[in-house]
Amino acid sequence: MKNKITLLFAFCSIIGFSQEKDSTEVVYKKRVLESIEVDFLASYYKQDGVHSSVSGGMGSEKLTDLASNIVVAIPLNDDDVLTVDMGISAYTSASSSNINPFNSSGASGGGDDDDDDRAPAIGPYGTPWQASSGASAQDALAAVVVNYSHSSDDRNFIWNADVAFSNEYDYTSIGFGGGVSKLFNNKNTEISVKANVYLDQWRPIYATELHEYASYGAGFQSNGFFSGVTILDQSGNASTSYLPSNFTTWDSTNRNSYSASFGFSQVATKKMQFSLFFDILHQEGMLSTPYHRVYFADKANYYIGQAEYIPVYETTQNAGVYQLADDIERLPNTRFKIPVGARLNYYLNERLTLRTYFRYYWDDWGITSNTASIELPIKLSEKFTVFPSYRYYTQEKSKYFAPFETHLSTEKFYTSDYDLSTFDAHQYGFGINYTDIFTNAKIWKFGLKNIDLRFNHYDRNDGLNANIVTFGIKFVQQ
Amino acid sequence: MKKIILVVIVVFSAISCNTVKEYDKQYINDPEMKLSARSSERYETTFQVYREAASGANGGKTGGGCGCN
Repeated sequence: MKNKITLLFAFCSIIGFSQEKDSTEVVYKKRVLESIEVDFLASYYKQDGVHSSVSGGMGSEKLTDLASNIVVAIPLNDDDVLTVDMGISAYTSASSSNINPFNSSGASGGGDDDDDDRAPAIGPYGTPWQASSGASAQDALAAVVVNYSHSSDDRNFIWNADVAFSNEYDYTSIGFGGGVSKLFNNKNTEISVKANVYLDQWRPIYATELHEYASYGAGFQSNGFFSGVTILDQSGNASTSYLPSNFTTWDSTNRNSYSASFGFSQVATKKMQFSLFFDILHQEGMLSTPYHRVYFADKANYYIGQAEYIPVYETTQNAGVYQLADDIERLPNTRFKIPVGARLNYYLNERLTLRTYFRYYWDDWGITSNTASIELPIKLSEKFTVFPSYRYYTQEKSKYFAPFETHLSTEKFYTSDYDLSTFDAHQYGFGINYTDIFTNAKIWKFGLKNIDLRFNHYDRNDGLNANIVTFGIKFVQQ
Repeated sequence: MKKIILVVIVVFSAISCNTVKEYDKQYINDPEMKLSARSSERYETTFQVYREAASGANGGKTGGGCGCN
Protein backbone atom coordinates (compact mmCIF):
# COMPACT_ATOMS: atom_id res chain seq x y z
CA MET A 1 0.00 0.00 0.00
CA LYS A 2 2.84 2.34 0.94
CA ASN A 3 4.50 1.70 -2.36
CA LYS A 4 1.28 2.58 -4.17
CA ILE A 5 0.96 5.87 -2.26
CA THR A 6 4.56 6.70 -3.10
CA LEU A 7 4.03 5.94 -6.75
CA LEU A 8 0.87 8.07 -6.75
CA PHE A 9 2.75 11.07 -5.33
CA ALA A 10 5.60 10.62 -7.75
CA PHE A 11 3.11 10.36 -10.63
CA CYS A 12 1.28 13.50 -9.45
CA SER A 13 4.58 15.35 -9.34
CA ILE A 14 5.53 14.31 -12.85
CA ILE A 15 2.10 15.20 -14.19
CA GLY A 16 2.37 18.51 -12.34
CA PHE A 17 5.65 19.30 -14.09
CA SER A 18 4.38 18.33 -17.49
CA GLN A 19 1.19 20.37 -17.16
CA GLU A 20 2.93 23.44 -15.82
CA LYS A 21 3.27 26.02 -18.51
CA ASP A 22 6.57 27.77 -18.35
CA SER A 23 5.79 31.42 -17.72
CA THR A 24 9.33 32.59 -18.37
CA GLU A 25 8.70 33.33 -21.99
CA VAL A 26 11.64 35.02 -23.57
CA VAL A 27 11.35 38.72 -24.05
CA TYR A 28 15.03 39.24 -24.45
CA LYS A 29 17.99 36.95 -24.03
CA LYS A 30 20.28 37.60 -21.13
CA ARG A 31 23.75 36.29 -21.81
CA VAL A 32 24.51 33.06 -19.98
CA LEU A 33 27.88 34.54 -19.04
CA GLU A 34 28.31 38.29 -19.30
CA SER A 35 32.08 38.38 -19.70
CA ILE A 36 35.25 36.37 -19.36
CA GLU A 37 35.83 34.98 -15.86
CA VAL A 38 39.18 33.77 -14.60
CA ASP A 39 39.65 31.65 -11.47
CA PHE A 40 43.04 31.05 -9.89
CA LEU A 41 42.99 28.19 -7.39
CA ALA A 42 45.76 26.73 -5.27
CA SER A 43 46.08 24.28 -2.41
CA TYR A 44 48.69 22.91 -0.05
CA TYR A 45 48.02 19.44 1.37
CA LYS A 46 50.02 17.59 4.00
CA GLN A 47 49.32 14.17 5.51
CA ASP A 48 50.92 11.67 7.84
CA GLY A 49 49.99 8.16 8.91
CA VAL A 50 51.32 4.75 9.87
CA HIS A 51 49.83 2.39 7.26
CA SER A 52 51.79 2.84 4.05
CA SER A 53 50.33 0.65 1.33
CA VAL A 54 53.67 0.66 -0.53
CA SER A 55 55.17 -1.06 2.53
CA GLY A 56 52.33 -3.57 2.84
CA GLY A 57 50.08 -1.65 5.23
CA MET A 58 52.74 -0.42 7.65
CA GLY A 59 55.11 2.55 7.67
CA SER A 60 55.17 6.27 7.08
CA GLU A 61 52.44 7.86 4.94
CA LYS A 62 54.02 11.33 4.95
CA LEU A 63 52.99 13.23 1.85
CA THR A 64 52.84 16.85 0.75
CA ASP A 65 51.09 18.09 -2.36
CA LEU A 66 51.03 21.52 -3.92
CA ALA A 67 48.36 22.03 -6.56
CA SER A 68 47.21 24.96 -8.64
CA ASN A 69 44.62 25.49 -11.35
CA ILE A 70 43.56 28.25 -13.65
CA VAL A 71 40.00 28.15 -14.94
CA VAL A 72 38.97 30.45 -17.77
CA ALA A 73 35.30 30.72 -18.76
CA ILE A 74 34.74 32.47 -22.10
CA PRO A 75 31.29 33.48 -23.40
CA LEU A 76 31.34 32.68 -27.14
CA ASN A 77 27.95 34.31 -27.71
CA ASP A 78 24.72 34.80 -25.75
CA ASP A 79 24.16 31.05 -25.35
CA ASP A 80 27.51 29.29 -25.45
CA VAL A 81 30.34 29.14 -22.95
CA LEU A 82 33.75 27.55 -23.35
CA THR A 83 35.59 26.67 -20.14
CA VAL A 84 39.24 25.66 -20.00
CA ASP A 85 40.59 24.25 -16.74
CA MET A 86 44.35 23.68 -16.54
CA GLY A 87 46.15 22.40 -13.49
CA ILE A 88 49.34 21.01 -12.11
CA SER A 89 49.90 19.11 -8.91
CA ALA A 90 53.33 18.26 -7.50
CA TYR A 91 53.84 15.90 -4.58
CA THR A 92 56.56 14.42 -2.44
CA SER A 93 55.74 11.15 -0.69
CA ALA A 94 57.61 8.98 1.81
CA SER A 95 55.36 6.10 0.91
CA SER A 96 55.94 6.09 -2.83
CA SER A 97 59.66 6.81 -2.33
CA ASN A 98 59.83 3.33 -0.83
CA ILE A 99 59.02 1.64 -4.11
CA ASN A 100 62.80 1.59 -4.03
CA PRO A 101 63.48 1.83 -0.30
CA PHE A 102 67.21 1.18 -0.49
CA ASN A 103 69.42 4.19 -0.11
CA SER A 104 72.70 2.66 -1.01
CA SER A 105 73.95 1.01 -4.16
CA GLY A 106 71.82 -1.26 -6.28
CA ALA A 107 71.08 -1.71 -9.95
CA SER A 108 67.68 -0.07 -9.75
CA GLY A 109 68.54 2.13 -6.81
CA GLY A 110 68.78 5.78 -7.33
CA GLY A 111 71.23 8.45 -6.34
CA ASP A 112 73.15 9.33 -3.25
CA ASP A 113 71.95 8.91 0.26
CA ASP A 114 71.22 12.40 1.48
CA ASP A 115 69.13 11.40 4.47
CA ASP A 116 71.28 12.15 7.50
CA ASP A 117 68.74 10.78 9.98
CA ARG A 118 69.37 7.23 8.93
CA ALA A 119 71.69 4.78 10.62
CA PRO A 120 75.00 4.41 8.80
CA ALA A 121 75.44 1.19 6.87
CA ILE A 122 77.73 -0.29 4.32
CA GLY A 123 75.29 -2.15 2.08
CA PRO A 124 71.85 -1.12 0.93
CA TYR A 125 69.32 -0.50 3.67
CA GLY A 126 65.95 1.12 4.12
CA THR A 127 63.02 1.46 6.48
CA PRO A 128 59.29 1.81 5.94
CA TRP A 129 59.29 4.63 8.50
CA GLN A 130 61.32 7.13 6.48
CA ALA A 131 61.44 8.37 2.92
CA SER A 132 64.18 6.94 0.75
CA SER A 133 66.07 8.95 -1.83
CA GLY A 134 64.48 6.99 -4.69
CA ALA A 135 63.27 8.81 -7.79
CA SER A 136 59.66 7.87 -7.03
CA ALA A 137 59.66 10.17 -3.99
CA GLN A 138 58.17 12.91 -6.10
CA ASP A 139 56.06 13.37 -9.18
CA ALA A 140 53.88 15.93 -10.92
CA LEU A 141 50.43 15.56 -12.40
CA ALA A 142 49.37 17.87 -15.22
CA ALA A 143 45.72 18.01 -16.25
CA VAL A 144 43.48 19.93 -18.63
CA VAL A 145 39.70 19.84 -19.06
CA VAL A 146 37.85 21.67 -21.83
CA ASN A 147 34.10 22.04 -21.50
CA TYR A 148 31.60 23.50 -23.96
CA SER A 149 28.03 24.29 -22.92
CA HIS A 150 25.00 25.57 -24.78
CA SER A 151 21.78 26.96 -23.31
CA SER A 152 18.49 27.17 -25.16
CA ASP A 153 16.85 30.54 -25.77
CA ASP A 154 14.49 30.13 -22.83
CA ARG A 155 17.41 28.85 -20.70
CA ASN A 156 15.41 25.76 -19.78
CA PHE A 157 17.59 23.28 -21.64
CA ILE A 158 21.36 23.02 -21.39
CA TRP A 159 23.72 20.55 -22.95
CA ASN A 160 27.45 20.26 -22.49
CA ALA A 161 30.38 18.21 -23.71
CA ASP A 162 33.87 17.90 -22.26
CA VAL A 163 37.24 16.34 -22.92
CA ALA A 164 39.94 15.75 -20.32
CA PHE A 165 43.58 14.76 -20.31
CA SER A 166 45.98 14.16 -17.45
CA ASN A 167 49.45 12.77 -17.23
CA GLU A 168 51.95 11.77 -14.58
CA TYR A 169 55.11 9.66 -14.64
CA ASP A 170 53.40 6.27 -14.58
CA TYR A 171 49.81 7.11 -15.53
CA THR A 172 47.94 8.80 -18.38
CA SER A 173 44.22 9.46 -18.52
CA ILE A 174 42.03 10.55 -21.41
CA GLY A 175 38.39 11.32 -20.73
CA PHE A 176 35.33 12.61 -22.49
CA GLY A 177 31.72 13.05 -21.61
CA GLY A 178 28.58 15.07 -21.90
CA GLY A 179 25.28 15.80 -20.31
CA VAL A 180 21.89 17.48 -20.59
CA SER A 181 19.82 19.44 -18.07
CA LYS A 182 16.17 20.33 -18.34
CA LEU A 183 14.42 22.90 -16.16
CA PHE A 184 10.69 22.71 -15.51
CA ASN A 185 8.04 24.24 -13.36
CA ASN A 186 9.12 27.89 -13.67
CA LYS A 187 12.72 26.83 -13.12
CA ASN A 188 11.80 25.25 -9.78
CA THR A 189 12.74 21.76 -10.95
CA GLU A 190 15.79 20.52 -12.79
CA ILE A 191 16.55 17.07 -14.09
CA SER A 192 20.00 16.23 -15.43
CA VAL A 193 21.74 13.26 -16.98
CA LYS A 194 25.44 13.02 -17.78
CA ALA A 195 27.89 10.35 -18.82
CA ASN A 196 31.67 10.17 -18.72
CA VAL A 197 34.30 7.77 -19.97
CA TYR A 198 37.94 7.72 -18.85
CA LEU A 199 40.43 5.61 -20.77
CA ASP A 200 43.52 5.34 -18.59
CA GLN A 201 46.88 3.75 -19.12
CA TRP A 202 49.33 2.57 -16.47
CA ARG A 203 53.07 2.43 -17.06
CA PRO A 204 53.62 0.19 -14.06
CA ILE A 205 56.61 0.49 -11.80
CA TYR A 206 57.25 -2.30 -9.34
CA ALA A 207 58.97 -2.65 -5.98
CA THR A 208 62.73 -3.00 -6.50
CA GLU A 209 62.98 -6.62 -5.32
CA LEU A 210 60.05 -7.72 -7.51
CA HIS A 211 61.33 -5.78 -10.49
CA GLU A 212 64.64 -7.62 -10.19
CA TYR A 213 62.92 -10.99 -9.87
CA ALA A 214 60.87 -10.22 -13.00
CA SER A 215 64.00 -9.15 -14.89
CA TYR A 216 66.36 -12.01 -13.99
CA GLY A 217 64.08 -14.87 -12.90
CA ALA A 218 65.26 -17.49 -10.41
CA GLY A 219 68.89 -16.29 -10.66
CA PHE A 220 68.02 -12.74 -9.63
CA GLN A 221 70.05 -12.88 -6.43
CA SER A 222 73.31 -12.95 -8.36
CA ASN A 223 72.35 -10.26 -10.88
CA GLY A 224 71.40 -6.62 -11.00
CA PHE A 225 70.56 -4.95 -7.71
CA PHE A 226 70.98 -8.11 -5.65
CA SER A 227 74.48 -8.87 -6.90
CA GLY A 228 76.69 -8.77 -3.79
CA VAL A 229 73.83 -7.77 -1.51
CA THR A 230 73.17 -9.81 1.65
CA ILE A 231 69.61 -10.90 2.31
CA LEU A 232 68.70 -11.60 5.93
CA ASP A 233 66.18 -14.07 7.32
CA GLN A 234 63.95 -13.46 10.36
CA SER A 235 66.84 -14.35 12.70
CA GLY A 236 69.17 -11.89 11.00
CA ASN A 237 71.29 -14.55 9.31
CA ALA A 238 72.34 -14.37 5.67
CA SER A 239 70.04 -16.38 3.43
CA THR A 240 69.53 -17.11 -0.26
CA SER A 241 66.04 -18.60 0.14
CA TYR A 242 64.05 -15.47 -0.75
CA LEU A 243 61.91 -16.20 -3.83
CA PRO A 244 58.76 -14.12 -4.54
CA SER A 245 57.26 -16.83 -6.74
CA ASN A 246 53.71 -15.42 -6.52
CA PHE A 247 54.80 -12.31 -8.39
CA THR A 248 54.14 -11.76 -12.08
CA THR A 249 54.05 -8.46 -13.93
CA TRP A 250 50.80 -7.11 -15.33
CA ASP A 251 50.19 -7.92 -19.00
CA SER A 252 47.27 -5.56 -19.55
CA THR A 253 47.76 -2.07 -18.14
CA ASN A 254 44.55 -0.31 -19.16
CA ARG A 255 42.04 1.04 -16.70
CA ASN A 256 38.71 2.19 -18.08
CA SER A 257 36.03 4.00 -16.08
CA TYR A 258 32.45 4.55 -17.20
CA SER A 259 29.96 6.62 -15.28
CA ALA A 260 26.36 7.73 -15.64
CA SER A 261 24.95 10.38 -13.30
CA PHE A 262 21.35 11.35 -12.73
CA GLY A 263 20.36 14.50 -10.86
CA PHE A 264 17.10 15.98 -9.62
CA SER A 265 16.92 19.47 -8.07
CA GLN A 266 13.88 21.13 -6.61
CA VAL A 267 13.08 24.51 -5.09
CA ALA A 268 10.92 23.33 -2.20
CA THR A 269 9.94 26.60 -0.54
CA LYS A 270 11.03 30.24 -0.72
CA LYS A 271 13.88 29.35 1.64
CA MET A 272 14.71 25.73 0.92
CA GLN A 273 15.94 23.72 -2.02
CA PHE A 274 17.38 20.25 -2.37
CA SER A 275 18.91 17.95 -4.93
CA LEU A 276 19.27 14.19 -5.28
CA PHE A 277 22.08 12.43 -7.16
CA PHE A 278 22.40 8.87 -8.32
CA ASP A 279 25.52 7.58 -10.07
CA ILE A 280 26.36 4.26 -11.65
CA LEU A 281 30.07 3.63 -12.12
CA HIS A 282 31.83 0.73 -13.70
CA GLN A 283 35.60 0.24 -13.87
CA GLU A 284 37.56 -2.45 -15.63
CA GLY A 285 41.18 -3.29 -16.28
CA MET A 286 44.15 -2.89 -13.99
CA LEU A 287 42.48 -1.69 -10.79
CA SER A 288 45.36 -2.81 -8.57
CA THR A 289 48.26 -0.49 -7.85
CA PRO A 290 51.45 -2.19 -9.06
CA TYR A 291 53.75 -0.91 -6.30
CA HIS A 292 51.59 -1.79 -3.29
CA ARG A 293 53.47 -4.59 -1.53
CA VAL A 294 51.79 -7.54 0.16
CA TYR A 295 53.39 -9.81 2.79
CA PHE A 296 51.92 -13.26 3.37
CA ALA A 297 51.54 -14.81 6.82
CA ASP A 298 52.40 -18.25 5.44
CA LYS A 299 55.70 -17.20 3.83
CA ALA A 300 59.05 -16.72 5.55
CA ASN A 301 60.29 -13.14 6.01
CA TYR A 302 63.43 -11.76 4.38
CA TYR A 303 65.10 -8.38 4.76
CA ILE A 304 67.79 -6.09 3.46
CA GLY A 305 69.58 -3.81 5.89
CA GLN A 306 70.76 -4.03 9.48
CA ALA A 307 69.79 -7.16 11.44
CA GLU A 308 69.46 -5.39 14.80
CA TYR A 309 66.32 -3.61 13.57
CA ILE A 310 64.41 -6.78 12.60
CA PRO A 311 62.87 -7.29 16.10
CA VAL A 312 61.53 -3.69 15.99
CA TYR A 313 60.56 -3.77 12.31
CA GLU A 314 56.97 -2.68 12.92
CA THR A 315 57.89 0.24 15.15
CA THR A 316 59.32 3.66 14.38
CA GLN A 317 62.55 2.53 16.08
CA ASN A 318 63.35 0.65 12.89
CA ALA A 319 65.88 2.95 11.23
CA GLY A 320 67.64 0.53 8.91
CA VAL A 321 65.93 -2.63 7.67
CA TYR A 322 63.30 -3.26 4.99
CA GLN A 323 61.28 -6.43 4.43
CA LEU A 324 61.23 -7.88 0.92
CA ALA A 325 57.79 -8.28 -0.64
CA ASP A 326 56.01 -11.57 -1.29
CA ASP A 327 53.81 -10.02 -3.98
CA ILE A 328 51.93 -6.89 -4.99
CA GLU A 329 48.26 -6.31 -4.28
CA ARG A 330 45.88 -8.29 -6.47
CA LEU A 331 42.37 -6.94 -6.93
CA PRO A 332 39.61 -7.96 -9.35
CA ASN A 333 39.72 -6.38 -12.78
CA THR A 334 36.16 -5.05 -12.53
CA ARG A 335 34.45 -2.85 -9.98
CA PHE A 336 30.86 -1.66 -9.87
CA LYS A 337 29.94 1.32 -7.67
CA ILE A 338 26.63 2.91 -6.75
CA PRO A 339 26.71 6.19 -4.81
CA VAL A 340 23.48 8.00 -3.93
CA GLY A 341 23.66 11.55 -2.61
CA ALA A 342 21.51 14.45 -1.52
CA ARG A 343 22.03 18.12 -0.78
CA LEU A 344 19.64 20.31 1.17
CA ASN A 345 20.16 24.04 1.66
CA TYR A 346 18.06 26.23 3.91
CA TYR A 347 18.13 30.03 4.14
CA LEU A 348 17.76 30.64 7.89
CA ASN A 349 17.95 34.43 7.84
CA GLU A 350 19.92 37.25 6.25
CA ARG A 351 22.99 36.23 8.30
CA LEU A 352 22.80 32.44 8.27
CA THR A 353 22.42 29.71 5.68
CA LEU A 354 22.48 25.97 6.31
CA ARG A 355 24.15 23.72 3.72
CA THR A 356 23.97 19.94 4.18
CA TYR A 357 25.06 16.90 2.21
CA PHE A 358 24.59 13.16 2.63
CA ARG A 359 25.83 10.21 0.57
CA TYR A 360 25.44 6.45 0.77
CA TYR A 361 27.92 4.35 -1.21
CA TRP A 362 28.03 0.66 -2.14
CA ASP A 363 30.39 -1.33 -4.37
CA ASP A 364 30.86 -4.96 -5.30
CA TRP A 365 34.24 -5.17 -3.54
CA GLY A 366 32.25 -5.22 -0.30
CA ILE A 367 32.68 -1.57 0.63
CA THR A 368 29.80 0.46 2.01
CA SER A 369 30.11 3.98 3.32
CA ASN A 370 28.12 6.93 4.61
CA THR A 371 29.12 10.59 4.32
CA ALA A 372 27.40 13.49 6.04
CA SER A 373 28.50 17.11 6.04
CA ILE A 374 27.16 20.39 7.27
CA GLU A 375 28.30 23.94 6.56
CA LEU A 376 26.98 27.10 8.16
CA PRO A 377 27.88 30.23 6.16
CA ILE A 378 27.64 33.33 8.34
CA LYS A 379 27.47 36.74 6.62
CA LEU A 380 29.53 39.17 8.66
CA SER A 381 28.96 42.08 6.30
CA GLU A 382 27.99 42.75 2.70
CA LYS A 383 31.41 41.58 1.56
CA PHE A 384 32.60 39.05 4.13
CA THR A 385 31.23 35.59 4.87
CA VAL A 386 32.79 32.93 7.10
CA PHE A 387 31.82 29.29 6.81
CA PRO A 388 32.62 26.71 9.48
CA SER A 389 32.00 23.13 8.38
CA TYR A 390 32.10 19.56 9.63
CA ARG A 391 32.15 16.30 7.65
CA TYR A 392 31.80 12.75 8.94
CA TYR A 393 32.75 9.72 6.88
CA THR A 394 32.50 6.06 7.82
CA GLN A 395 33.41 3.04 5.73
CA GLU A 396 33.24 -0.76 5.94
CA LYS A 397 36.29 -2.55 4.54
CA SER A 398 36.63 -4.32 1.23
CA LYS A 399 36.46 -8.11 1.40
CA TYR A 400 39.93 -8.17 -0.17
CA PHE A 401 41.60 -6.12 2.58
CA ALA A 402 43.70 -7.50 5.43
CA PRO A 403 46.44 -5.83 7.50
CA PHE A 404 50.22 -6.30 7.26
CA GLU A 405 51.36 -9.94 7.19
CA THR A 406 47.89 -11.49 7.52
CA HIS A 407 46.95 -12.46 3.97
CA LEU A 408 47.63 -16.04 2.86
CA SER A 409 49.42 -16.87 -0.38
CA THR A 410 46.53 -19.18 -1.32
CA GLU A 411 44.07 -16.26 -1.63
CA LYS A 412 43.12 -15.06 -5.09
CA PHE A 413 42.72 -11.35 -4.25
CA TYR A 414 44.54 -9.39 -1.56
CA THR A 415 45.53 -5.89 -0.55
CA SER A 416 46.86 -4.15 2.56
CA ASP A 417 45.86 -0.68 1.39
CA TYR A 418 44.22 1.00 4.39
CA ASP A 419 42.20 3.27 2.09
CA LEU A 420 40.11 0.10 1.57
CA SER A 421 39.92 -0.77 5.30
CA THR A 422 37.23 -0.07 7.90
CA PHE A 423 37.58 3.41 9.38
CA ASP A 424 35.82 6.58 10.48
CA ALA A 425 37.01 10.06 9.52
CA HIS A 426 36.21 13.50 10.86
CA GLN A 427 36.93 16.68 8.91
CA TYR A 428 36.75 20.11 10.53
CA GLY A 429 36.85 23.16 8.29
CA PHE A 430 36.78 26.91 8.35
CA GLY A 431 36.70 29.32 5.44
CA ILE A 432 36.37 32.99 4.71
CA ASN A 433 34.98 34.56 1.58
CA TYR A 434 35.29 38.11 0.30
CA THR A 435 32.90 39.12 -2.46
CA ASP A 436 32.68 42.45 -4.23
CA ILE A 437 29.83 42.37 -6.74
CA PHE A 438 30.90 45.78 -8.08
CA THR A 439 34.46 44.54 -8.71
CA ASN A 440 36.00 47.82 -7.57
CA ALA A 441 39.53 46.43 -7.28
CA LYS A 442 41.05 46.00 -10.73
CA ILE A 443 44.08 44.46 -12.35
CA TRP A 444 44.48 45.49 -15.99
CA LYS A 445 41.08 44.78 -17.63
CA PHE A 446 39.88 42.45 -14.89
CA GLY A 447 37.94 43.27 -11.76
CA LEU A 448 38.27 41.25 -8.54
CA LYS A 449 34.98 39.50 -7.83
CA ASN A 450 35.75 37.23 -4.90
CA ILE A 451 38.43 35.57 -2.78
CA ASP A 452 38.04 32.26 -0.94
CA LEU A 453 40.39 30.97 1.75
CA ARG A 454 39.72 27.59 3.38
CA PHE A 455 41.43 25.43 5.97
CA ASN A 456 40.47 21.83 6.74
CA HIS A 457 41.80 19.29 9.22
CA TYR A 458 41.14 15.60 8.54
CA ASP A 459 41.41 12.83 11.15
CA ARG A 460 41.05 9.15 10.34
CA ASN A 461 40.82 6.72 13.26
CA ASP A 462 43.50 4.45 11.78
CA GLY A 463 46.15 7.09 12.49
CA LEU A 464 46.10 9.05 9.25
CA ASN A 465 45.65 12.78 9.56
CA ALA A 466 45.89 15.61 7.07
CA ASN A 467 45.65 19.38 6.72
CA ILE A 468 44.72 21.26 3.60
CA VAL A 469 44.74 24.98 2.85
CA THR A 470 42.94 26.18 -0.25
CA PHE A 471 42.96 29.59 -1.87
CA GLY A 472 40.79 30.80 -4.72
CA ILE A 473 40.44 34.17 -6.44
CA LYS A 474 38.06 35.13 -9.23
CA PHE A 475 38.44 37.96 -11.74
CA VAL A 476 35.84 39.20 -14.19
CA GLN A 477 36.62 41.02 -17.40
CA GLN A 478 35.38 44.62 -17.29
CA MET B 1 15.74 2.49 6.49
CA LYS B 2 12.98 1.68 3.99
CA LYS B 3 10.52 3.74 6.04
CA ILE B 4 12.85 6.73 5.98
CA ILE B 5 13.27 6.48 2.21
CA LEU B 6 9.48 6.23 1.80
CA VAL B 7 8.89 9.30 3.95
CA VAL B 8 11.57 11.26 2.08
CA ILE B 9 10.07 10.34 -1.31
CA VAL B 10 6.53 11.19 -0.21
CA VAL B 11 7.56 14.54 1.33
CA PHE B 12 9.73 15.51 -1.63
CA SER B 13 7.02 14.49 -4.10
CA ALA B 14 4.48 16.63 -2.27
CA ILE B 15 6.85 19.58 -2.07
CA SER B 16 7.72 19.32 -5.72
CA CYS B 17 4.13 20.17 -6.66
CA ASN B 18 4.78 23.68 -5.29
CA THR B 19 5.94 26.51 -7.48
CA VAL B 20 7.98 29.41 -6.13
CA LYS B 21 7.63 32.44 -8.41
CA GLU B 22 10.70 34.16 -9.77
CA TYR B 23 10.02 37.29 -7.74
CA ASP B 24 9.96 35.16 -4.57
CA LYS B 25 13.39 33.69 -5.16
CA GLN B 26 15.57 36.33 -3.50
CA TYR B 27 16.57 33.83 -0.80
CA ILE B 28 16.95 30.90 -3.18
CA ASN B 29 19.20 33.02 -5.43
CA ASP B 30 21.58 33.85 -2.58
CA PRO B 31 25.09 32.64 -3.58
CA GLU B 32 25.29 30.48 -0.42
CA MET B 33 22.18 28.56 -1.52
CA LYS B 34 23.81 27.02 -4.59
CA LEU B 35 23.21 23.28 -4.79
CA SER B 36 26.79 22.49 -5.68
CA ALA B 37 30.15 22.38 -3.98
CA ARG B 38 32.19 25.58 -3.93
CA SER B 39 34.86 25.77 -6.62
CA SER B 40 37.55 25.96 -3.93
CA GLU B 41 36.30 22.64 -2.48
CA ARG B 42 37.67 20.75 -5.48
CA TYR B 43 41.00 19.94 -3.82
CA GLU B 44 39.28 18.58 -0.71
CA THR B 45 37.11 16.39 -2.91
CA THR B 46 40.24 15.17 -4.70
CA PHE B 47 42.06 14.10 -1.53
CA GLN B 48 38.88 12.49 -0.17
CA VAL B 49 38.53 10.43 -3.34
CA TYR B 50 42.16 9.31 -2.90
CA ARG B 51 42.02 8.57 0.82
CA GLU B 52 38.56 7.02 0.94
CA ALA B 53 37.12 4.14 -1.07
CA ALA B 54 33.89 5.94 -1.93
CA SER B 55 33.47 8.42 -4.76
CA GLY B 56 30.73 9.94 -6.88
CA ALA B 57 27.34 11.53 -6.22
CA ASN B 58 28.97 14.81 -5.30
CA GLY B 59 29.70 16.43 -8.62
CA GLY B 60 33.38 15.49 -8.27
CA LYS B 61 35.53 13.53 -10.66
CA THR B 62 34.58 9.88 -10.92
CA GLY B 63 37.52 8.48 -12.83
CA GLY B 64 40.83 9.31 -14.40
CA GLY B 65 44.09 9.86 -12.54
CA CYS B 66 45.76 7.35 -10.31
CA GLY B 67 45.81 8.90 -6.84
CA CYS B 68 47.70 5.98 -5.45
CA ASN B 69 50.17 7.69 -3.13
